[in-house]
Amino acid sequence: MTELATSPDMGRGPEKQLPRFDPGITEPIWKIRWKMNMRSLAQNWEIFKESRVGMSGLIIIIAFGAFGLLWPIMINFVWDPLIYHPVVGFDPMLMHPSPPVAGHLLGTDPIGRDILAQLMFSTGREFLLGMLSAVISVVVGTFIGAMAAYYGGFTDTIFMRVADIVMLFPFVPLLVVIGSMIRLSIFPFAIILGFLEAFGGITVILKAQALQVKVRPYIDAARVAGGSDLHIIRAHIIPNVLPLSFLYMMFNVTAAIVSEATLSFFGILNIDMSWGMMIHTAETAGYLFDFGKFWWLWAPSGFFITLFCAAFYMVGRGLDEVVNPRLRKR
Amino acid sequence: MDALLSVEDFTMHYRTKAGWVQAVDGVSFALKRGQALGLVGESGCGKTSVAMSIMRLLPYNAEIKHGRITLGGRDVYAMASEEFRQVRWKEISMIFQAAMNALNPVYTVGSQIVEAIVEHEPETTEEQARRRVAELFDLVGIPADRADHYPHEYSGGMKQRAVIAMALACNPSLIIADEPTTALDVIVQDKILREMEEIRRRINMSMIYISHDISVIAEVSDIVGVMYAGKLMEIGEADDVFKRPRHPYTYGLMHAYPSILGAKRDLATIPGEPPNLMAPPAGCRFNPRCDRATDECRAVEPKLIKAGPEHRIACHNPVWTPSSGGERVGAAR
Amino acid sequence: MIPGHARAGGPSGALRPAPRFGREQLKARVITMRRYMLGRVGQLVLTLLIYMTMVYFLMQAMPGDISQVYLANPRIPQAARLELKKQLGLDRPPFFQYLSYIKNFFTGNLGVSFSHYPRPVWDILVERLPRTIVLFVTANCLSFYVGFVLGRIIAWQRGATVDRMATVVGITFWTAFYPLLSLILIWLFAFTLNRLPLNQFIEPALWIKAPFTSNTVFGYMVLGASVIALAVFLIFWVFRRGLRRTRRSAAMAWAMTAGVIGLAIWIAHATGTLIYIWDIIRHMILPVCTLTLINFAGTMLLMRDSMLETVQEDYVMAARAKGLPDNVVRDRYAARNALLPTVTSLVLSLASSMSGGLVTETMFSWPGIGQVLFRAAIGNDYPLATGALVFTGVFLLVAHFVADVLYAFLDPRISYTGQPAAEG
Ligand SMILES: Nc1ncnc2c1ncn2[C@@H]1O[C@H](COP(=O)(O)OP(=O)(O)OP(=O)(O)O)[C@@H](O)[C@H]1O
Ligand code: SF4
Ligand SMILES: [Mg+2]
Repeated sequence: MTELATSPDMGRGPEKQLPRFDPGITEPIWKIRWKMNMRSLAQNWEIFKESRVGMSGLIIIIAFGAFGLLWPIMINFVWDPLIYHPVVGFDPMLMHPSPPVAGHLLGTDPIGRDILAQLMFSTGREFLLGMLSAVISVVVGTFIGAMAAYYGGFTDTIFMRVADIVMLFPFVPLLVVIGSMIRLSIFPFAIILGFLEAFGGITVILKAQALQVKVRPYIDAARVAGGSDLHIIRAHIIPNVLPLSFLYMMFNVTAAIVSEATLSFFGILNIDMSWGMMIHTAETAGYLFDFGKFWWLWAPSGFFITLFCAAFYMVGRGLDEVVNPRLRKR
Repeated sequence: MDALLSVEDFTMHYRTKAGWVQAVDGVSFALKRGQALGLVGESGCGKTSVAMSIMRLLPYNAEIKHGRITLGGRDVYAMASEEFRQVRWKEISMIFQAAMNALNPVYTVGSQIVEAIVEHEPETTEEQARRRVAELFDLVGIPADRADHYPHEYSGGMKQRAVIAMALACNPSLIIADEPTTALDVIVQDKILREMEEIRRRINMSMIYISHDISVIAEVSDIVGVMYAGKLMEIGEADDVFKRPRHPYTYGLMHAYPSILGAKRDLATIPGEPPNLMAPPAGCRFNPRCDRATDECRAVEPKLIKAGPEHRIACHNPVWTPSSGGERVGAAR
Repeated sequence: MIPGHARAGGPSGALRPAPRFGREQLKARVITMRRYMLGRVGQLVLTLLIYMTMVYFLMQAMPGDISQVYLANPRIPQAARLELKKQLGLDRPPFFQYLSYIKNFFTGNLGVSFSHYPRPVWDILVERLPRTIVLFVTANCLSFYVGFVLGRIIAWQRGATVDRMATVVGITFWTAFYPLLSLILIWLFAFTLNRLPLNQFIEPALWIKAPFTSNTVFGYMVLGASVIALAVFLIFWVFRRGLRRTRRSAAMAWAMTAGVIGLAIWIAHATGTLIYIWDIIRHMILPVCTLTLINFAGTMLLMRDSMLETVQEDYVMAARAKGLPDNVVRDRYAARNALLPTVTSLVLSLASSMSGGLVTETMFSWPGIGQVLFRAAIGNDYPLATGALVFTGVFLLVAHFVADVLYAFLDPRISYTGQPAAEG
């Protein structure tokens, strides 16, 4: 894809190699490499900081993180678990669903559970789900992409054909069918999602990137200097593909969260509480036909899903500017 | 004859995050109808920036500090954009430095030329325009039936010729050729240059050749301007500049060559590096590399002064000044 | 004009006929194009087989013996059960089961649905496929067009308020939780404004007295729409191609388009199908809008990004230097080239927009493939779910193929490399 074609390596590759040929340097290589990485990280961070969209996304994510971390504190020290438990809590003092009142800042759901507690409890799990599936997809995808680009030939063909098929899979219908047969819980779901993403489009994109790196002269230099295949892939190709991988990781988090929310919304997953689940509860109890009146049943969770996804997407766009100089603000 | 193009004390800087890039600073020259001006200078000295300023195609971060460019008596930057749009290609066209990429990959080469003709000569029908394309292709040496091919089906040299044909399409009175031949091998380069020169003389067109290859400039220009670090250092008739250079920078360049028509070589033969245009040296921008530099050079910026009827230089201690009676450095033999 | 100028072309050969460029060229292009497409069809069939295999093994891998479940369905009478068993090859070893599954697909036999017993799965899916196609194609074309146009505008005005606002709105819709978005739209349009029908595909009361079935009318609609689309395409191809883009030609093209649509409406009216067609269209509005809202932003943001790149290309600069009007530089140079990567990504996102389609169909009770798949999956109707999954895959494959061919037409470079840019 052309928009990814510009090189993201920011000239790190050749520099990184210098220590191997310079006997005057006494520092261990890992230390130099670490310093180099830190320096390029700092440079990239400078560019990222310029992107307003990216920074807004990052701030939102941090806010979500803080919100999620509040949960163990609240449930252990502030809230009474009997009332505020996100799944089995119940407040006997109120008619349910109750609109926001003093003890329940965002009201309660049709079976008497506190909405705020549910939101807070779910935040951590959304992070877990999103990050787990994104990390799996990117780690696997990067490795496959690098392998396919480096070895080419048969390895390449196999992975690319598989990617064609996987890209063809309509994920949600597929997951609906799988999910309705084996009720997936959060971990298997994240893992399945991660692998589906990994073998699909991301491999193709990262491979294209790795191909560009592969033809650089310093790869040949490294090979001549006796670097093993694995070493070259690990030390030269992957670091150069990494910014792009990171970018796709952000987009994959969004994809994972949306998939989870959608399937939860249809009640297909075996997850006791999540943002999608909250809307599901309201919907199945029939409260969604009067939108305006029972807004607290759907608005907070719907807003959270959208905002959370948007935040990762925005960080992705910010990273896009790091990876792709032509998009940068001027 | 009156001046077709005149650039007066033109100063244009680029805004960047790190500061202002002083890419064009106080450049002045005039070009008469039918004359060819050659602009030489090291890479990054602002040649393309001058060309783009004339074409009024500056990027978003360019800022004109002062100065004026007039074309046929009209101020380029005072014209309404719609008015200047009509001027482009009709009166002033350009051969881009990256001719390879100057063609839109999704349309046939012929149609891109036809498009320009039809745009500027509404009375010309498409048929007539196509016939003109065929003639132009003949002229630059591409088989006419290749007009309906896409750019990716052309070789680099063909693209270059096609771009030249495109620049000629509307019979402009001035063509700016920014490194028109650098992408080509030497033999083709010579051939194309000669052809362009012939066409130019035949239709009495003006031309600005931009290059960092002195031999190219020497071959085709009537007037030669030497740029260094955003400034015009010396400008004059080709004979004067090449045979009797007055500016130490030009002198250095010439000195580096046994003969200007000999081996083709790039300019970077003077020891030292061109300055960072974000913080050029005070006084004369050439002073850190100049062996004639004095304290005055490090403090006072030299203005372009007359050194002959058509010869101007910007230097405090020009090479061989007859009135000073000082040492005659063997430049002008 | 500058006086004293001869035409650059030397002796003006006014008598010479204008050269007809490119007959040969065109022929060569058609041939390479045909070869390219044949290659793609071959890949298509192979991919389809692999896809079907994967679906099959996926089903086999599910817990419980599907074939047992299949046969144990109480709704199937004992006699039919044995027949079915033989038909599906369940009495033979697994490999043969697989082969008969493949064979059965190509002979249009996907078994019998549990929940709609005794309707064959194939029947159900074939009945519903056009509805999904119409919804999917309409919504995708619309959202692509909207996204393309908006992206073009905001990229051209980079940094302006429009750009910033459109980016924010785009990101919001792009990441919006779409089941909720459709609920909000239903609530807004159907309940609050009382304007649009809530859901379903037709108004039953209207159709009771109808002399045709809804599917007949729907078939006419699809046919009519295709004919209209083709006609409009031809009109624009003739009048607006390349350089013949004058104001008069534009007026002519639009007038003829209006004429074609008017004619179509008149025919529908004359045959008495107009009110029924209108009823179906009314029911389509909400789901199509939802799908468009979900999808347009992706195209828009992508178009913006890829156009921000093309505007920096030298040919855009050259187009400006040529003194072409601003909108020509934008449309024929910057946007036209930015279109290519955008179409590539459209191809890549077809599958995910199908996912959106499933949700939308379910939310709006639009009786298409997606809704059937969802209900079958929930109701453990394995044959139907499998069939729907395969159909979805086939449908996407074909969509993929169409988009690829389209791309090959858009990018002249493609027929030579034989590879769509999507591959690298
Ligand atoms: N858009 C821009 N923004 C900031 N700086 C720029 C921009 N374009 C050019 N420059 C800088 O302005 C200076 C002059 O550039 P210019 O392209 O005019 O040089 P040139 O003489 O044409 O060089 P070359 O022979 O390599 O083409 C360079 O230092 C360049 O880095
Ligand atoms: S002004 Fe001084 S430094 Fe500059 S070129 Fe002349 S002598 Fe050298
Ligand atoms: Mg240049």
